[in-house]
Amino acid sequence: MKARINRGVLLTVLAFLLIAPLLLPAVGFDYWLDILAEILIWSLFAASVNLLFGYVGLLSFGQALFFGMGMFGVAIGVAKLGLGFWPALGLGMVVAVATAAVAGALAVRLTWHYFAIITVVFSLIFYFIALSAKPLTGGDDGTSFSMPPMLTLGESELSLTDQTVQYFFILLVVGFAFFVKYLIVRSPFGMALMAVRENDVRASLIGLNVYFLRWIAFVVAGGFAGLAGCLFALFGRYASATYMFYHVSGEGVVWTIVGGAGTLFGPAIGAALLIIVREELSNMWEHYPILVGIVVILTVIFAPKGLMGMWNGLLDRLASRSADGTDTDEGQRQAMESAAAPVKGEAGP
Amino acid sequence: MDIVVALAFNGLVWGLIIALIALGLSIIFGLLDIINLAHGDFFMVGTVLTWFVLEATGNYWIAFLIVPLMGFLMGALVERAVIQPIRGTAALSIVATFGLSIIIQEVVRAGFGAAPKRILPPIEGTIPLFGIEYDIYRIFAAAVSIVAIFGFFAFLHRTKLGTWMRAVRFDRDIALAMGVPARTVYMVTFALGFAMAALGGAVAAPITTVDFQTGVDVLPFCFMAVIIGGLGNLPGTVAAAVLLAVTEGIVTSFTDPTVARIVSLCLMSAVLIARPHGIFAGATR
Repeated sequence: MKARINRGVLLTVLAFLLIAPLLLPAVGFDYWLDILAEILIWSLFAASVNLLFGYVGLLSFGQALFFGMGMFGVAIGVAKLGLGFWPALGLGMVVAVATAAVAGALAVRLTWHYFAIITVVFSLIFYFIALSAKPLTGGDDGTSFSMPPMLTLGESELSLTDQTVQYFFILLVVGFAFFVKYLIVRSPFGMALMAVRENDVRASLIGLNVYFLRWIAFVVAGGFAGLAGCLFALFGRYASATYMFYHVSGEGVVWTIVGGAGTLFGPAIGAALLIIVREELSNMWEHYPILVGIVVILTVIFAPKGLMGMWNGLLDRLASRSADGTDTDEGQRQAMESAAAPVKGEAGP
Repeated sequence: MDIVVALAFNGLVWGLIIALIALGLSIIFGLLDIINLAHGDFFMVGTVLTWFVLEATGNYWIAFLIVPLMGFLMGALVERAVIQPIRGTAALSIVATFGLSIIIQEVVRAGFGAAPKRILPPIEGTIPLFGIEYDIYRIFAAAVSIVAIFGFFAFLHRTKLGTWMRAVRFDRDIALAMGVPARTVYMVTFALGFAMAALGGAVAAPITTVDFQTGVDVLPFCFMAVIIGGLGNLPGTVAAAVLLAVTEGIVTSFTDPTVARIVSLCLMSAVLIARPHGIFAGATR
């Protein structure tokens, strides 16, 4: 039942995302189409944090680095190198993935706190470099550019300057990225990642190359963040060093945790919710981040599995009640898992 | 040459203040296993409280005395409300303190305003020092930091509470079995960390600007000191803070501060990767 309900919700959301460009202007909410596009982009960014934290158990506070690299790749590609749409996008991706490959090779040697700290440090280093490399990046002011056309067919050209085209382009790319993430998580590779998350010593004893798995995951996550950055640069026609700062990474972490780490769509839900809160509240109450902070702390204390975890828990409970006391297979499996799992932190050997 | 001496001295003073703040960060990590992303904001709260008390009373010295106490109380409160419930989930503690940092900054922005303000040094005048005229207040700030750092080490090694703190850090379960009230020790540790950051803020307020964002600049520096000194290695933290600040001060005298910051961040990554227990690890084991 749970799987069916979740699939129903997912299909509804997808249908909404597909008809939004028709629906929102019809009810006078044109502006929200851009918000929706922004939510999609940041969902992808949160998915990058989630791939590392939710599936490999590495908490990165530095994903903004790759986001920023993607942004600058696109912006500098268009503004300084005079590249077209697709080459600039390619440049952004190459720069982001290459940075992730190098940073990852060093960072995944560390775990836990040390990993979190070194990812912050790496992103800070490049943040300061981007700030001081004024001729290339524009320093504090950033780099803005005008949108090159995506596709030219004789007289007519397809460009992101059209709001609907832009929306569908972002939806398509983000949807594709989420599909890739789904495939990864379902694959034997994804299972290996989760094995590393659960217990890296046991994982290495059954023959998994823990270092290599973590590195690959880091590079893929860097690619996701980079792609989000490319999209955001195209969306805003702009790149700025501020998006490399660790507060942006922190936002990604917050969305992931609030939505539910280790679930495919949890981080997207977290991002959507908090961005909608921001859009709605920031006009009414300037100091709305206080509310965000409170939500974060309450989530960590009362729902460490996030909204998605709460939702699934609720569905499980409903399912077990409707099945007259007998648990569903899913519920039983989870109950067994939680009984078998050792209590973390306190009761170590 | 004069400018190099002056900047080296500024670095030394700033390094001692940072050492004081970073010690708080280090004991919180060592004892509670919490990466406190709000620690820079604790410092910022110290500077802001100093400004408020100064506004209310007109006397800096009253602020100097009561701001650390206010920090201690706030620390105790935060520990009970936020830290206590999440003990044992190390990864999530980073997220919770990030949330805390957002709240603190935003509350200060609401109550204090977004515009940076300045506090005049309560001691004016300069004295000649190695060929330059140097602010007396800065020397006073350095002296206060040194006294506070030594006072903290004396507290840790000479008092019952300090011994408990070391005991809980060494082995929590055995300490509990010996009757050490671990919960109280956690609370006092966190409160003390906040108080030290607040004292650092009160001392630094007349030197830097009072602004709701200063914590964001101070936090990476404190982390550098803690990491390079070795996580949980308290004397190492102090040494690293002073070393880093003096180096940055001297480097700043012939290039721009951002480059100096990049250099020390690179140094920190090298230390993290090559010697994750800090450069002084060999000396203490």
